[in-house]
Amino acid sequence: MTQSLDVSTSSSNGRPAAAGRGRRPHLIYLAIGFPPAAKSCAYRMRETANQFRRIGWDVTVVTIAAASWERDSGLDYSLLEQVDPEIRVVELPLAREDLETDIRRFSEERALRPAKWLTNLRKREKKIFPEPVFGSWRGTLEQAVLDVHRQRPANLLLASCVPYVNLAAAWKLWETQGVPYAVDFRDGWSIDVVNGGQAFTPDSEAGTWERRILDHCQSLWVVNDPIADHYRERYPHVADRVHVVRNGYDKDSVPMIRPRRPDPEAGLTFGYLGTVNYTTHQLRVVLDAWREARKREPLLRNARFEIRGHIGAGANREANGLTELIREAADDGVSFGGPVRKAEVAETYGRWDALVLILIGGRYVTSGKVYEYMATGLPIVSVHEVDHDASRVLDGHPLWTGACGLDELRLVDSFRDAARMVVEATDEQRAGVRDHADPFTRETLMQKAVEQLAAHALAAPGDLPVNGAAVHPSDEPSTINETERAGGVRA
Amino acid sequence: MSDVLLVAGVAPQPGILATAVRRLRESGARVHLVGAVDPDELAEDLQLDGLCALPADIAKDTPTRVAARQVPGERVWSRIRREPWAREHARSADVLVALDAHAIYTVWRFAQRNRAADARYGIQAAVQALVERKGRPSTGPLRRLTNGIPSTTAVKQSVNRLINAAPRAAVNAVTARPIMRSKAGTQLWLTAVKAPKVPDSLRTKVGHQVAKGMAWADRPDGEALILTATASKLRKPTARARILGEAASRELKAGMPPRDLAGAVNALLKVADQRHRADENAAAADLLNRAMTLAFDRVLHIDQLTSPLAEDPEGFIAPFRRSLAATTVASPRGRRQPAAPPPTDRPLRLLIATSANDNFLKLIRSYYDAHPRVEVRFVDLAANAALKSVTWASKPMLEHRLSADTTPYGEKAEERLRPYLDWADTVFVDWCVAPAALFTMVDPGTTRVIVRLHSYEALSRWPYMVDFSRIDDLVFVADHIKDLTTTLVPYLKGPDGPRMHVLDNAMNLRGFQIDKPADARFQLGMVGISQVAKDPRWAIQVLRLLRERDDRYRMLLVGGDMNPDVSVASREYLEAFNRDVRELEATGAVRRLGATDDVPKMLSDIGVIISSSVREGCHCGLMEGAASGAVPVVRDWPFFAGKPNSARTLYPEGWVIGSPEEAVERILRTTATEEAWRTTGREASTYALREWDWSVVQHHFDRLLLDDPRSESRRRE
Repeated sequence: MTQSLDVSTSSSNGRPAAAGRGRRPHLIYLAIGFPPAAKSCAYRMRETANQFRRIGWDVTVVTIAAASWERDSGLDYSLLEQVDPEIRVVELPLAREDLETDIRRFSEERALRPAKWLTNLRKREKKIFPEPVFGSWRGTLEQAVLDVHRQRPANLLLASCVPYVNLAAAWKLWETQGVPYAVDFRDGWSIDVVNGGQAFTPDSEAGTWERRILDHCQSLWVVNDPIADHYRERYPHVADRVHVVRNGYDKDSVPMIRPRRPDPEAGLTFGYLGTVNYTTHQLRVVLDAWREARKREPLLRNARFEIRGHIGAGANREANGLTELIREAADDGVSFGGPVRKAEVAETYGRWDALVLILIGGRYVTSGKVYEYMATGLPIVSVHEVDHDASRVLDGHPLWTGACGLDELRLVDSFRDAARMVVEATDEQRAGVRDHADPFTRETLMQKAVEQLAAHALAAPGDLPVNGAAVHPSDEPSTINETERAGGVRA
Repeated sequence: MSDVLLVAGVAPQPGILATAVRRLRESGARVHLVGAVDPDELAEDLQLDGLCALPADIAKDTPTRVAARQVPGERVWSRIRREPWAREHARSADVLVALDAHAIYTVWRFAQRNRAADARYGIQAAVQALVERKGRPSTGPLRRLTNGIPSTTAVKQSVNRLINAAPRAAVNAVTARPIMRSKAGTQLWLTAVKAPKVPDSLRTKVGHQVAKGMAWADRPDGEALILTATASKLRKPTARARILGEAASRELKAGMPPRDLAGAVNALLKVADQRHRADENAAAADLLNRAMTLAFDRVLHIDQLTSPLAEDPEGFIAPFRRSLAATTVASPRGRRQPAAPPPTDRPLRLLIATSANDNFLKLIRSYYDAHPRVEVRFVDLAANAALKSVTWASKPMLEHRLSADTTPYGEKAEERLRPYLDWADTVFVDWCVAPAALFTMVDPGTTRVIVRLHSYEALSRWPYMVDFSRIDDLVFVADHIKDLTTTLVPYLKGPDGPRMHVLDNAMNLRGFQIDKPADARFQLGMVGISQVAKDPRWAIQVLRLLRERDDRYRMLLVGGDMNPDVSVASREYLEAFNRDVRELEATGAVRRLGATDDVPKMLSDIGVIISSSVREGCHCGLMEGAASGAVPVVRDWPFFAGKPNSARTLYPEGWVIGSPEEAVERILRTTATEEAWRTTGREASTYALREWDWSVVQHHFDRLLLDDPRSESRRRE
């Protein structure tokens, strides 16, 4: 981290102004999942931090030790290549105890009754903070942000969740030091994005926490409109602080060259890239439909279906029912190739003729993957609920087969349609798809969101919230119209 | 080179194991495996350097009383530690790996002795350990020597374990197997559990302890006896009802009808009513649920050749009709608005719903998928986690009903179903079980609700949990099922009951018309033998009698065997059936072909198709056989024989016979010559296609779904 420059800020776009009244503004960014963690949220976090740097902020990222990701989703050091070198990263010695795989560290009770031990652990975690997996991290996180602030006073804290225990640290800094905070909920806490409905009631402990946090937050980011609507309805008094900040895609992840010439004789290649986090039932339906489509569709006779990404965590990593299903489908041209390093994502897409988008959940789930898929210009077979936010994103995409839930017969048709699209799609169509995806680059979306947040955080000091006081919405001109056109940040 | 010892507490999936071994070998290790293994399932290319295969159920197996008390991890350890091979390899291993949760304790214990080894859970962790080992200096000979000495912690823990186990050992001694198996021992304990002036809590505790002893002695009858005796002396009605329920439940689990089912059900219903009156509806729901679970257990109705419910429907159901709680649950809520007529300006939005079983929906779905006047959506409630969790939730459903439809569960059901109901003009729920109960828990708005009841549902608890006042149309597959259901649920016959229809199952019978070879004439066949109700032993008896007259007759059995794990009653039936056919199979007179996707092909070799069931809705296998040109021979299904509607009214005259002897006569008569056989078969085929083929039945479905039901009612008036 370099020494701070003498800068002050302009309240119009969050950029530091030229005057020399103090140091650069400082952001504490609670981003557990920041690179090199090989997690899907890492891209969003990296871009957020980079954007704050771009507009002249000092950024301190608070995350957990890299080694802790070894037992979780793994590490991808190529993700670090595009992290602004000026960003300071504080790694805390935290790890998920439940994912420990060294049996020598187990108590006899844990070794003997692993399920009961886990239940008790969850109970203990929830006593500290109402989040069953990460609750016990609360004390360390709170202390960490206080220490960072003491060393270098912060102007804003941005907490990216999950884990939601980050909120306790944000609250601590606000309560004791008056540092304003914003929350990037991504998928939202009180909403069950996978199954729909509320995840907890307003009067539960988690409900109380969420309300307390949102009452005083500067801004709340979520990834799509249905989730934003949920928050606006649940907390009408903060409705104007809820912003949709879509995930978008990284330009360097999609092949810049024209997709390869399809060769049905040699065999078309369908691909899936992403975390394999769906149920065995869902995967079985996909594989059955794939098998049937290969039988029926001459274009798919020699086709392959490559699945890439992370499967499982802890002791189940790459060894669960899903890997077994994939292995059993080997005779149908299905294979699993493990995770793809960020630096190799574009090359991987470049080898495929069509993509299979398998997603869990429904209208509240978007996934970041859909934007990247769209930007490749390749035909897309959707395997998710019809009423899924990904359907809204893909609506109008000329090389999309449409969503049909888990209806196997229709999926067979989708695979066949996609095969025909592969051979019949024109270069113009593919280019059109990529143009359609252009407004969804992560850089474009995040730039606007960060500028808006930074501007608000650095607004006239009198408007900044202090202990217990209500947050005054910024009087800044809204960027709604402009950003809505870009499909990005919306208030 | 490093040595890795894999430990399996449950049989690993072959693919996962093969991948694990390959990855470890690629990391430069010799790989050995001990534990639960199914040798038939091991991949052919599995390259193990050593294997100590133990039974696949080591985590569950309880050969001793000590094992019965243990948790699965302890059982796995107890079993594996007895293997010298395992101990030796554990001592010399560099990496000990637990492949599953039940194997963790064994690895933990091995690691107490082999203190130089890495101990890991999971394959990726094991590979990581191997990589890390390569970067570490190797252990010297002195260190290796100390590996075999257990740590002081391990010694201390073993002593603690012994001390803690002692009191239970004393209890075990007085309920030892020989005592519990003897008449005197049983009498002694029966007297003990009924001793006067014992507090309820202590009596219950002792009763349970002794019952466990009986279970250990393989005496479920004794278990029930002890629990019933205990209950008879309990002062608190709730405790008494619960123990009586437990007694009946133990007997059902053992596959036998309880000696006092009525007593247990009545006691549970009585306290359920008390709780409901006191507005303690969670407890009331729990007790009512127990009563229903007992009364409608599959051992009584599904896995037997008879059912007390079918024999005396009104008598069997009477306690529920008298119960305040049960009648509150069953009371009709009605719908706020009538169902809207089918739209005329756009296609009908049809939601087809089921839970896991879509066997009888495929043809209907594909037909309406292509129908220009219908837009179809399909929801499998078992495949959607959010819906599944609210579907088979008997207790919350009961509580919701008992609490005047005001529980968080009801709100959740409403929240999750509403988008489907808002979209659909008509919901077609297949099977009158939990999904039907769920869909009628919420007011359907103007959406029309149609439920189809096949057969077994009439013998289940669900007709008492479905709100028929929210169903517009109830579809049966046969008249005799309609008769039984309306007897059990009199509301259906009342003025507010749903419209009722009898529609044949959707079957594409034209695909079954295949020429049969001449020798099929002597080939009897059955399609579907996977349930006790199919009673294939009856068919085998027919074959035996037939072969006494002419040994050219043989039998083909199409379909998987019944699952012996479903209930003890199923297992006992299967064992008896296996004994019946052993000799016939050895001579080739009976062949079991197992499950198949190509029934038409199987039917091409069958000249006489038999329905030997004790009950059926319509018996699709028989209808398909008839369509194929096989001579149908239908037992007069005993559940319905002699009633106004039965197999005799469903099928044409002549197909149905009353006894195995009559069956033999019909078969000999209709297969006397090839010409007679072909003629009879052709007539059967013509009848089946004319009456039951989808080309005919589809019009009935069209009328049900697409016509305005109000005009239908008017027409009937």
